[in-house]
Amino acid sequence: MKIGVYICHCGSNIADHVNIEEVRKAIQEQTDAYVVKDVMFACSDSSQKEIVEDIKTKGLDAIVVASCSPKLHLPTFREVARRGGLNPYKYIQVNIREQCSWAHSDDKKGATNKAIRLIKAGIEKARFSEALDPIKIDAVNAVAVVGAGIAGLRAAIELADMGTYVYLIEREYFIGGRVTQWNELFTTNQTGREIITKLYHQLISYKNITLFTGAEIVETSGSVGNMQIKVRIKPRYVKPDCVFDLDKFEKAIEVCPVEVEDEFNFGLTKRKAIYKNYPGEFPEVPAIDFDHCTKCGECLKVCEGIDLEQKEEFLSLNVGAILLATGFDPYEPKQGEYGYGQVNNVITLQQFKRLIELCPDELVYNGHKVRSIAYIYCVGSRQQNGPNRYCSRYCCTAAMHTALLVKEKYTDVRNFHFTRGIRTYGKQEHIYHEALEQGDVVFQSFNDPLCEVEEQDGKPVVKINDFLTRGKPIELETDLVVLITGMVPRKNNTIAQLLKVPVGRDHFFNEIHLKLRPVETVIDGVFISGASQGPKNIMESVNSALAAASKANNLVKKGFISIEPTIAFVDTDKCQWCGKCLEICPFDAFEKVEEGGKQVARVITSLCKGCGMCLPVCPEDALQLHNYTDEQIESMIDDLIRA
Amino acid sequence: MLEPKKHYDVLVIGGGIAGQETALNLANLGYKIALVEKDYSIGGKMILLSKVFPTLDCAACITTPKVSETARHPNIDVFTYSQVEDIFKQERGFRFTLRQKPRYVTEDCTGCQLCEQVCPVVVEDEYQYGLIGRKAIFIPHSIANPRIAAIDIEHCTLCGLCENVCPPKSIDFTQQERVDEIYATAVVLATGYKLFDPTIIKRYGYGKYKNVVTAMQMERQLVPTRPFNNILRPSDGKVPDNIAYVLCTGSRDVTLGNPICSQVCCMYSTKQAQLLMGALPMADVTLYYINIRAFGKGFCEFYQQARSMGVGYVKGKVGRIFEKEDGNLILRYEDIETGEVAEAEHDLVVLSIGILPNKDYQNLFKNVRVEHDPYNYVRQVDELTSPARTSVDGVFVAGTASGPMDIPDTILSAGAASSETASYLRKVYKEIQPSLS
Repeated sequence: MKIGVYICHCGSNIADHVNIEEVRKAIQEQTDAYVVKDVMFACSDSSQKEIVEDIKTKGLDAIVVASCSPKLHLPTFREVARRGGLNPYKYIQVNIREQCSWAHSDDKKGATNKAIRLIKAGIEKARFSEALDPIKIDAVNAVAVVGAGIAGLRAAIELADMGTYVYLIEREYFIGGRVTQWNELFTTNQTGREIITKLYHQLISYKNITLFTGAEIVETSGSVGNMQIKVRIKPRYVKPDCVFDLDKFEKAIEVCPVEVEDEFNFGLTKRKAIYKNYPGEFPEVPAIDFDHCTKCGECLKVCEGIDLEQKEEFLSLNVGAILLATGFDPYEPKQGEYGYGQVNNVITLQQFKRLIELCPDELVYNGHKVRSIAYIYCVGSRQQNGPNRYCSRYCCTAAMHTALLVKEKYTDVRNFHFTRGIRTYGKQEHIYHEALEQGDVVFQSFNDPLCEVEEQDGKPVVKINDFLTRGKPIELETDLVVLITGMVPRKNNTIAQLLKVPVGRDHFFNEIHLKLRPVETVIDGVFISGASQGPKNIMESVNSALAAASKANNLVKKGFISIEPTIAFVDTDKCQWCGKCLEICPFDAFEKVEEGGKQVARVITSLCKGCGMCLPVCPEDALQLHNYTDEQIESMIDDLIRA
Repeated sequence: MLEPKKHYDVLVIGGGIAGQETALNLANLGYKIALVEKDYSIGGKMILLSKVFPTLDCAACITTPKVSETARHPNIDVFTYSQVEDIFKQERGFRFTLRQKPRYVTEDCTGCQLCEQVCPVVVEDEYQYGLIGRKAIFIPHSIANPRIAAIDIEHCTLCGLCENVCPPKSIDFTQQERVDEIYATAVVLATGYKLFDPTIIKRYGYGKYKNVVTAMQMERQLVPTRPFNNILRPSDGKVPDNIAYVLCTGSRDVTLGNPICSQVCCMYSTKQAQLLMGALPMADVTLYYINIRAFGKGFCEFYQQARSMGVGYVKGKVGRIFEKEDGNLILRYEDIETGEVAEAEHDLVVLSIGILPNKDYQNLFKNVRVEHDPYNYVRQVDELTSPARTSVDGVFVAGTASGPMDIPDTILSAGAASSETASYLRKVYKEIQPSLS
């Protein structure tokens, strides 16, 4: 058997701590490898060509590349094997960068020795490797987009444009997400509603988009290409085929006697049990909040479109992929954090944005005219002692932009910014610049907490040791304190739990690779976008939504998907069906079948991920994994322990 | 030289990561792409970087697979050392001129570099940002794609030595440029950015003081194939032990006509500082900054990590740099912490140069105008909901052509450009032939 071995320097990444020359010699002398070469960058095009040539001209039966982690380059070299005319699964990668060079940078001799052993084991693995073909499964050209905020809406429209069927699933009764809560947006000064109105009209013009509101995915099964999702649709208590008379609905809202805190306005105002968040919201009919409705029937008297008997419904949908655009929650300050909830007149940026909209002529809070505002930055972000170490990225610009708006709208207001250093990156810098030009005052501190907020004579007083003036203690009495709260991951993100979407250290969804695969997750067919992946402003969210749409479309459009053939297989002679494999399998990838007059286990190929959990529990030793067979593993161990 | 097709679905201008990512996404959907790169190699600026923040992935390791996937994709024709000229918008699609310039070396070149050994001409190596020299015949850098030599005809003396040693006889001084007229249905501008030229700031002495270098020069000293295999300062080859970074060199500076933030310098300086701490464990590294903009995913944590590794951060803008006789440098800066003008001595100064728009796109189009924003980047006409759209229907923008951004944002922006282009193509083709839907 002719095996080719290529040892990569990775520039100096490997060669600095592993003696490549010594490794090459050892492999040449101590193994029967047919070709042994060292290369500067195995992944570079010229080295790839060289390997392809070797396979063709020297008739290699298998190849081993000793380089970096297979996480990075397994697909690259499988493709090299394929181009050389070799089955891609006759390629074995040995990781001498992360496992030797980087792990043992203090011990060149040891790292070199370890590299030699690992490569020898790799050669053994290659020797017993089998040629495999990817498993092709059918894919449904439909995608479930979860969340109808700006990211979800844009992804849905783009997917539909590219010819994919979209189910757009929104948990709330109304679409638009957080964007509808902000009025003017940086950096274009369009309003959130203007944008959502435009997108909504676009959305409903597509025949291949179905929108569900008040809907939530409650169950998922199947796997990439063919996923079954069960959607629960909460009743809106409005007849679906009612005469569309908005005046009557307005009347119904008017007569409703129940008043509850309005979440849309972050508790600044009250709303009724039958409600819309704002006039002109989409869908245009109101919904009834049944947690608070007393079923008094007043609304029924004025509007025949209401039906209090509606029941929740369940729908089953079949999709090829799921695109998550579940967004974020604004950070909720703790009681007493910068005076929140304890000192008079301390609100969050989100509340403040709503307040500005609710005060058309004069900025009034708690019945008092507001003349000076203190903005306290990084609340819930960049915590030195709390769990949120990350920067929420959008808030500096959002705060500065709000300060500009306030000054423009109410002219006689003064702005004071208490910051950790302003991060209006890129072109957003001009917003910071304008704020300074209009006379806003900026303080800075590196302390945690940044400043202190106390109440004096019913008014908040902010105290800071200002770094910009040699740490001078400064006290500022102000009418209103606005806490610039960052983004945190969504609470109650049930779909994430159902799909087991991995999260990062910051608890936002985690991508496979920030640069190479930023919208894909380790779960095949599940894509992430927008602020669900980490704080983003609107343009960045839309960019990521469109990128995710492009990847999802690419995956399902062809009608089939190729999946890894390195999955479990059953030796039916040995198998006595005890069911232990099905019990332990996290993907339910086994079924019981009749074969040769007895009951045996069968692997459901579209579900098996090749994790290998089932192998050790089989009492008959009837299970093996393609290309991780006992024969391979045992011969690898033999070579590893041989001195 | 490659014989181009008459018609492509998409013309992608620029072969950096934005152009490659867009081309690959579209090619995977079955569209035919012409990818035109003015340089000898695709890979853009990223292929020249060392490791990239905040994950410290080796840049070569993550660009080379993408580069090679692009180069051999059956639906992508890559034209290197080529230029797009005179784009005319037509009723449907665009007509343009593709000029492939001669490298004077044919595709038979195996990249053996024997020619480089015999060539007697030495000039400054622009791919190493002037740190070392190169020959008049050369392979741009170790991971260039295509890995084919090129002759810098301006400096070549036509001595013919390379011709004599070339094993596959791939040197061809008679090569002529090739000009074709081609059509494409859509255009993607992925023309990237330019680096700020610090010689403009005389106070910093770049070009005059040998030990004042740019961050790109430091980047090349830190790559896995680094020219000196160590960090050396230019004046005397000494290993530096007290390095300063001057942030916002050419950014956030109204006097230089670039009032905006370059978005990447804080982080790349922080990254270089971390790498230097690894390469030179005894060295001190100090960053002089206005604000540290560590805003992206994992950035703030990366910045904190640098601080805890001992990287010094001094808030204060550097006003002027002086050179001492021994080549060391005195930085005069406003120390915000003390409120006083202070001076500090360092043996190597790295200027964290910002990024500027590449305005080349502004002269490309003949009968339509691709509008620019106040900073000369491509204007995004619908920034919030269709960030890849430009003022011309059918022309899209990807990556830093529309403004400063880092690698993760560039990849996302390229993703957006590819899906908007795909939707556009579908719409156009449906109009021509409704059954295609």
